Amino acid sequence: MPPKFSGVLHELLEGMLIAFRAIRANKLRSFLTLIGVVIGVATVIAVVSVINGMNNYVSNKINSMGSSTFIVDRFGLITSEDDYFKALRRKKLTLKDLDAIKRYCSDCIDAGAHAEMQVKVKYGSQYLEDVWGFGATANFIEISDIDVASGRGFTDDDDRHRRAVCVIGPDIAENLFHGKDPLDKDIKVDHYYLRVIGVGTKRGSFLGQNQDYWVAMPFRTFSKYYGKRLDLTLHIRAASVSTMEEAQDQVRLILRNRRGDKYKDPDSFGIFTAASLMELYNNFTSTAWIVLIGVSSISLVVGGIVIMNIMLVSVTERTREIGIRKAIGARRKDILWQFLVESVSLSALGGIIGILLGVGMALIIGKFSPLPAAIEAWAVIAGLLIASSVGIFFGLFPAVRAARLDPVECLRYE
Amino acid sequence: MLIDTRNIWKTYQMGSESIHALRDVTIQIERGEYVAIMGPSGSGKSTLMNLIGCLDTPSQGEYYLNGKLVSAMNDDELAHIRNKEIGFVFQTFNLLPRATALHNVELPLIYNGTPSAERIRRARAALDMVGLSDRIGHKPNELSGGQRQKVAIARALANNPSLILADEPTGNLDSKSGADIMSLLTELNRAGNTILVVTHEREVAHYTNRIIYLRDGKIEKEERQVGLKA
Repeated sequence: MPPKFSGVLHELLEGMLIAFRAIRANKLRSFLTLIGVVIGVATVIAVVSVINGMNNYVSNKINSMGSSTFIVDRFGLITSEDDYFKALRRKKLTLKDLDAIKRYCSDCIDAGAHAEMQVKVKYGSQYLEDVWGFGATANFIEISDIDVASGRGFTDDDDRHRRAVCVIGPDIAENLFHGKDPLDKDIKVDHYYLRVIGVGTKRGSFLGQNQDYWVAMPFRTFSKYYGKRLDLTLHIRAASVSTMEEAQDQVRLILRNRRGDKYKDPDSFGIFTAASLMELYNNFTSTAWIVLIGVSSISLVVGGIVIMNIMLVSVTERTREIGIRKAIGARRKDILWQFLVESVSLSALGGIIGILLGVGMALIIGKFSPLPAAIEAWAVIAGLLIASSVGIFFGLFPAVRAARLDPVECLRYE
Repeated sequence: MLIDTRNIWKTYQMGSESIHALRDVTIQIERGEYVAIMGPSGSGKSTLMNLIGCLDTPSQGEYYLNGKLVSAMNDDELAHIRNKEIGFVFQTFNLLPRATALHNVELPLIYNGTPSAERIRRARAALDMVGLSDRIGHKPNELSGGQRQKVAIARALANNPSLILADEPTGNLDSKSGADIMSLLTELNRAGNTILVVTHEREVAHYTNRIIYLRDGKIEKEERQVGLKA
């Protein structure tokens, strides 16, 4: 007897050949059969790529905040409209809170604050709306991830004297000055003239939001123009990563005290760290994963049922062929293999088309929409495996049915 | 003794009624014989052929093929026996429509795991033996009826079986191609193959050396004769 292995291998190749011949012979039918699997796999690949791209991007962004920095504002984490209205009634954070933190928090090495407002910016005949305008303490640039590319940032001195100076985002510089040097020019922010002393570095966009479209001015300058009762966001840096917890606790204690939070009440403010923001993001994406798995499994199950149906048709159509093969010496498992390999070839082909389509979709999304996309090798392999298992799972029943057919009856079948 | 059936019965249950397709059939055929089984339709010819061809097992009695007790075998053992011991030739040829002549002839060799080079060599040799070596790449629909039946005979020969079982081999052919096929079978018998032909046509049966008449599931009579010359 010749080695069994070459026989098994041959059966496999034979089965694939039969499958591809059948696919070629019935192009429209094959297309309709495969569309479910194609869509299922394409969705998996495209969405996984987009989520991955977003994950990379977000974790990059959040980590650039620095692992020893945290943010305090009066809203905290808002998850409902109710929360929002409650938070609106809370006291605003003030410069005095900032001073208290600076004075009493021994584990904090630096603390800054900013307040923000939508502003209009004008220079000559150029006019920009919906610009993110903010006033910040002089150390804000050190604490935040904004850097100055040319010119200088503002100083404590600028702040103390409420000088009419500003640092502008690179896109504002581009749109107002069209390549000319913006330094030492006076631009109009809402109703006030400010001298440009610096231009920020380019940060690109984040989830479709342009991050280079801003005007920053010293905090007290901002406060002079836009009012004393500003809503502050505090930026605090702990001495090191290992003292983050202590620094947060101290800040919490100081603020609860100052704001008169009762013993059993929750904080009337929120503290965010890179880690907590990351956790929040992960919570959000885990929902997205579940939705993705749901949507794609529905189309994969539908695709699988279509394959099962077409395989049952194929078994019936080829009853006589099954009879011939059995008469000639095919065992049950030979017939089982033949139909199983055929359904797996079908679904794997659907998987390959789905992968190509999904990768294409991911590339297009990455290129033409604000969502970043990162195609992962494991997602591609998983797509192929999922498609093949759909073929095995839904091909098994028709194949078992074919294998169990009685050769005498098959040969009589017209 | 190649074929040895001992008092075999085949009974079908139709509701509460038992229908005996074969009643107490005992046949012995030696290696190298050329035998016809004749009978009108409904006489149990096809049932007998299915049993002898190991496509089915008897309800009662024992069947030995080449010394092996076939009547007690399971599905896969029967498949193995069919592959090794029997070559089928059917009335409707039963070739795979999408496969070439060569591939059709290769098929039995695929199921016993013959390596591909050896398989092609033997399939070519079998096609050569039936005179179709110039048609190996043709599909069944590109061949005449007689040629198709020759491909089927080549397929039956490919595995070098102990028995060639032909069920109405000329039933779908015109008389000239039919005569052609019968002389081919006669030739193969002279070359040492055991051949069993199932038919209801006297002219076909006359090619053989021995005719077993079947009626109502029983052996009616048996005749020995000098077969027609090819």
